[in-house]
Amino acid sequence: MGAHAEEGVRKPKVKHDGPKRHVVAFIGSLVLTALAFVAVAYDVIPSGFTVPFIIVLAFVQALFQLFVWMHMDQKGHEFARISIFAGLFVILMVVIVFVLWVWI
Amino acid sequence: MATHHANAVLPDEPEKATLEGKNKILGFWLFLGGETVLFGSLFATFIALRDQVNGGPTGQELFELPLVASATLLLLTSSMTAVMATQALHKKNLKQIQVWLTITVLLGLGFLGLEIYEFTHYVHEGHKISSSAFGSAFYTLVGFHGGHVAFGILWIILLQVSATKKGLTVVTAPKFYLASLYWHFIDVVWVFIFTVVYLMGMIGGKVG
Repeated sequence: MGAHAEEGVRKPKVKHDGPKRHVVAFIGSLVLTALAFVAVAYDVIPSGFTVPFIIVLAFVQALFQLFVWMHMDQKGHEFARISIFAGLFVILMVVIVFVLWVWI
Repeated sequence: MATHHANAVLPDEPEKATLEGKNKILGFWLFLGGETVLFGSLFATFIALRDQVNGGPTGQELFELPLVASATLLLLTSSMTAVMATQALHKKNLKQIQVWLTITVLLGLGFLGLEIYEFTHYVHEGHKISSSAFGSAFYTLVGFHGGHVAFGILWIILLQVSATKKGLTVVTAPKFYLASLYWHFIDVVWVFIFTVVYLMGMIGGKVG
């Protein structure tokens, strides 16, 4: 009824690069997770560095997943970025205040 | 006739084809920003109170890395299968969506099972929500996350059931997309939980 003949055969307007980058993000996340667990389970790096090291790993992995899996790297996601980074900013403020100020 | 050609006329990225769909995604990101703040405040409380064990067992005595690693692997893989569901959505293949979401739900249930086992084990060891500030902060943070996982599983199952009747349309496509976004967000939160709660809990004693 409403279907036009050319609708069925037209080329897709949006190109999707397929599952490859998502698989890369998955392997990347696995490697980052394994690194964090190994760093804690075996004393491979100086103990004073372990906490900053695994926190950096967590942030890298979170950004990986936000931008690739949740498509924040695609256009039209300006609002998503504002939303998430505003939330992160509030978190950092709260963590700093709670840790350094309230319960010393 | 119209239903027969439904898939052929479904636009690319059907989740963003209508203004309603676009608005849903926009609103959902605002919700995720709020969720970020919610979990952030729980994390901040946990970080501030995690040494206040009130004579009870510490995280270092309680936590077992193999269990946490298995839970992490389950949830990470389920996030991967949720992304495959979105890929299937972009291929407009409802059958594939259903298969990937079913795997996601099963992995999520496995994660929940591990968490329930873990919590009952801790309670037997004397680590309760009322036993110390560490206990309260731990169960509130990790329990809130587990609650999100349980809600996500319920949400995805209901979506799958309704999709068997309604099919894949510009109305149902945004729902699949959002459920997948939500599931990824849960996994992102878990990345920080296993880092801050479990791994930092394990080395708590070493740093002093």
